Amino acid sequence: MLSRGGDSGNKNILGSFPQQFENTLAGRDIISCRDFNREDVELVFGVAEEIESGVAGVEDALRGKKVALIFAEPSTRTFQSFYVAAKSLGADVISIHDPSISSMAKGETLYDTVKMIEGYGVDCIVLRHPARGSAKFVAESTSIPVINAGSGSQEHPTQALLDTFTIKKKLGRVDNFSMGMLGDLRFSRTIPSLCYLLSKHDGVRIFFMAPELLQVRREVELHLSQRGVVFRKVVKSEEIREIMPELDVLYVTRIQKERFPDLTEYEKVKGSYIVDMKLLSYGKKELGVMHPLPRVDELSPEVDSLPNAWYFEQARNGLPIRKALLYLILGGVA
Amino acid sequence: MSGESLLVRKIDWGTVLDHIPAWRANQVLKLLNLESLNRSSDISVIVLYNVPSKKLGRKDIVKLYHHMVSEEEAKILALVFPQMTINYIRDWKVEKHSPGLPEKIIGKIRCPETTCITNYEREPATPRYIVEREHGVVVCEYCDTLLEISRIPDFLKG
Repeated sequence: MLSRGGDSGNKNILGSFPQQFENTLAGRDIISCRDFNREDVELVFGVAEEIESGVAGVEDALRGKKVALIFAEPSTRTFQSFYVAAKSLGADVISIHDPSISSMAKGETLYDTVKMIEGYGVDCIVLRHPARGSAKFVAESTSIPVINAGSGSQEHPTQALLDTFTIKKKLGRVDNFSMGMLGDLRFSRTIPSLCYLLSKHDGVRIFFMAPELLQVRREVELHLSQRGVVFRKVVKSEEIREIMPELDVLYVTRIQKERFPDLTEYEKVKGSYIVDMKLLSYGKKELGVMHPLPRVDELSPEVDSLPNAWYFEQARNGLPIRKALLYLILGGVA
Repeated sequence: MSGESLLVRKIDWGTVLDHIPAWRANQVLKLLNLESLNRSSDISVIVLYNVPSKKLGRKDIVKLYHHMVSEEEAKILALVFPQMTINYIRDWKVEKHSPGLPEKIIGKIRCPETTCITNYEREPATPRYIVEREHGVVVCEYCDTLLEISRIPDFLKG
């Protein structure tokens, strides 16, 4: 029997944690990484590790629960990992994965879609939508928990959780390290979420490596400044080599062609930065390379065979993290 | 007797918005959204553009006969036009009003981020901003986009 923290006398994932790790995520929305505190993050990681290790028998933890996946934008990893996570915990899944064959194509609003789904007795909504603010809007429109699986260029909090989980596993720590973020920092939704999550940790230095047009958004800079995080913008590509030896992790992002309001601007910056063997030769031997995927041409396949390539393991970590989130948010059941 | 007093009669009750930066009175009117008021009301509006001012050199003045600006509107005006003075007139007597600053601005500003959910016309999402005076910005509560306080007039709804 699996149950929420605080219950006792049963087999309980949370029962193996110290007392301070109560299930603070039960019934909560996951909208922004700013909403997490350090304990929430440790809790998700702890449960993910238990699930990954196979110690916890969670196959039926969500039996009788319904999870709705509403994806109004393309997705491979996030959709599939949420789908597999929910099914493997015993939940039923309702999905809208191709808006072109749903009533959204007829002009149905997101609000109406969500109210309809909620009416089917769904226990949790996982939402991806091109609008910034869509997850918050949906969370305000329903009484059930909402998980943001990507709100336009704004945030992607579950990606940041699996990114940080990967850093913890590979680097052995999530404090006191230096990270380079390279590529499209302006339209990437993973970058703000990762910055917000890293700002909860100590001694993290961030180098934003991108041309001015693709530099990190002002609200992210403001947040980091308010949290006292040390960061630096590296605008000139020739400076990147100088920064490389300082980095423990290099996080690469795809240039998001689909989010450019003006495609001529895209043409100016595409292929600006490419991570290959030559660039990595300037870095530390054990430098970890991460990428939320999909990649286009910013990360050379020649890197794949190196121990520095963390990105496939990073993608795999999506499953235990999303299982842990669903388990915690929906509380587990007898 | 000052120049504008010669031009415009006194108010028995209403609001006088003084020391508006020259040629910005239209933005003030847009913020007040007077067109939405009941058509049968006896409100009259006098706008003076670019009149001489000891304090500003030139200024605009808006006189609202038989209309009291709400506290919420007064706070937003004080935020966007810090040099403006707001005077309530009751029974011919002038009361200088010093509103505090708003913590939030709801439904008055369009989000400058075109992909914000509040810019999806058919979605019932009302734009809400948190005021961060110390950073000189307001922040969209839905999409996190920052808007400089000085640029608010460019994004007023209505």
